[in-house]
Amino acid sequence: MSRVRIFGIGSPSGDDQAGWLVVDALLETGILRDSGIVIEKLDRPGASLISRMEGAERIVVVDAMQSGGMPGGIRHFDRNDVSDYGQGLSSHGFGVLAALTLARELGSLPPRLDLYGIEIGSAMPGEEACAAVGTAARQLASSIASELNVRARG
Amino acid sequence: MTEQKRTVAIHVPVLARVEGEGALDLRIDDGDITQLRLRIFEPPRFFEKFLEGRHYTDIPDMVARICGICPVAYQVTAAQALEKLFGIELSPWARDMRRVFYCGEWIQSHSLHIHLLAAPDFFGCGNAIELARLAPEEVRRGLRLQALGNELMDLFGARSVHPVGVRVGGFHGAPSADRIDAVRQKLRAALPEAEALIRWAAAIPLPPDDQTFVSVGMRHPDRYAIETGDIAASDGLLIGADAFDVHFAEQHEPHSTALFSSYHGQPYLVGPLARLNLNRDRLPGSVNTLLAEIGFALPSRNIFQSLLARAVEILLALQEALRLLDGYQVPDSPWVPVTPRAGVATGCTEAPRGLLWHRYEMDDDGRVVNARIVPPTSQNQGRIEEDLRLSLLAFGLDHPDDTLRLHCEKVIRNYDPCISCATHFLNLNVERT
Repeated sequence: MSRVRIFGIGSPSGDDQAGWLVVDALLETGILRDSGIVIEKLDRPGASLISRMEGAERIVVVDAMQSGGMPGGIRHFDRNDVSDYGQGLSSHGFGVLAALTLARELGSLPPRLDLYGIEIGSAMPGEEACAAVGTAARQLASSIASELNVRARG
Repeated sequence: MTEQKRTVAIHVPVLARVEGEGALDLRIDDGDITQLRLRIFEPPRFFEKFLEGRHYTDIPDMVARICGICPVAYQVTAAQALEKLFGIELSPWARDMRRVFYCGEWIQSHSLHIHLLAAPDFFGCGNAIELARLAPEEVRRGLRLQALGNELMDLFGARSVHPVGVRVGGFHGAPSADRIDAVRQKLRAALPEAEALIRWAAAIPLPPDDQTFVSVGMRHPDRYAIETGDIAASDGLLIGADAFDVHFAEQHEPHSTALFSSYHGQPYLVGPLARLNLNRDRLPGSVNTLLAEIGFALPSRNIFQSLLARAVEILLALQEALRLLDGYQVPDSPWVPVTPRAGVATGCTEAPRGLLWHRYEMDDDGRVVNARIVPPTSQNQGRIEEDLRLSLLAFGLDHPDDTLRLHCEKVIRNYDPCISCATHFLNLNVERT
């Protein structure tokens, strides 16, 4: 499996598709074609995110985020930002932060982790994502693709 | 020395981080439990209404949404019930692969429950992250097993969460022989890991517990019942799925929107420990030898041994999947044609958490007139309340509130009900008078 993996996390619920939209946009650009980079959409992977990171040198995770900002805002976190997380550890509600925290405890975090959060609004099942989230997803995809492409060439 | 009497009222208005909504009320007056109510709001109640009017071809995909952890159980039970009504005989390939698919769900669900939910309780840890500091290799092993279970589900379901592979009459597609070869290698490599997991689980010191209860689970004439079999109880009952209503009743309790199930008027246990209690003679010889070696005596009356029972079923499921995938060949067709007919369909399987029973009344066009789904969590609800009462009395009521709360959580989590999929869900409000 590739040493660089990009995971877009989401669900078919309105803006919660943010991570998937980034994957769609990355695949559409074709910039990373033949790069050997794994690019996958994941639907609420829970603890299985940990095994998906196994053996990777670099993981890029994109997920929806609600931090009170305007939909479409993008924030970046790295492995040092994975803070202690002791709440909500259930098999049904085992989220990305819980998985990354557990991975850190197990020494399973890759050397480089880029976690991108896209601020979202409504996450109603069956709805489309709003325009601001769509725009942000394309911007982020473009930025990730350029950076990885430069590194690959460099 | 003056004996201090106290009144403690523990109300948990909403159980956070659960599938559905639930609560726990516990009141102790002058050293006696005067109120103990586990309130659950089960999602499947709504699904039964959603299903009305839907075509039989929609049902497997719809019921898969009932649970994110055990969707295969819902799919396979529904398909099996309808196939019986429609007079469908599955191909040997589809029959075997349904069992393999189901084994995948047992492996992933049991691995998750052991490592993320139950085990931290027995190590004094608040959650799996703390457990990972104490036992990193064991947690890693658990996650590997869980991932392998997911992979099996993904093979036949196209995805592991809410899979879409099952159709009435078989499967929509068949995995390639190459994919099966790859997974067989992983299954083989996982066997010693599962055996090590059993030994680890058997070494965990458990609280003493000795309760009398009826175990209910499925039983098959010649193998460990998973996806087929009759319904058995430890008092000797053995009935087909269509006779469930004769012996089991569901009733509303004022404090819960979930239905309470009873067997001849009494609470009963479903799930891995009940299955093992009923089916020790259906375990492969090598598994029985291992159980004798670690001193796991069956039938067990210590409900805390449910964790060990799950570990045993992981090994069993790995062995079964490996056996059934031996000599795998892609079939000419993964499904057989289906012609619907009107009537009543009943079916049951063993979901990871216990017996799952479905009943569908269908019309001539193959549409649902009405549906009933009895999930394991509803069936265990009465037993959990009974267990909480007995366990608290045995534990002693004079412990601090936090200690009582922790003990309640430990007991509830042990049953792996959907509502306890949160590891620490009790936000206590304590009133003292």
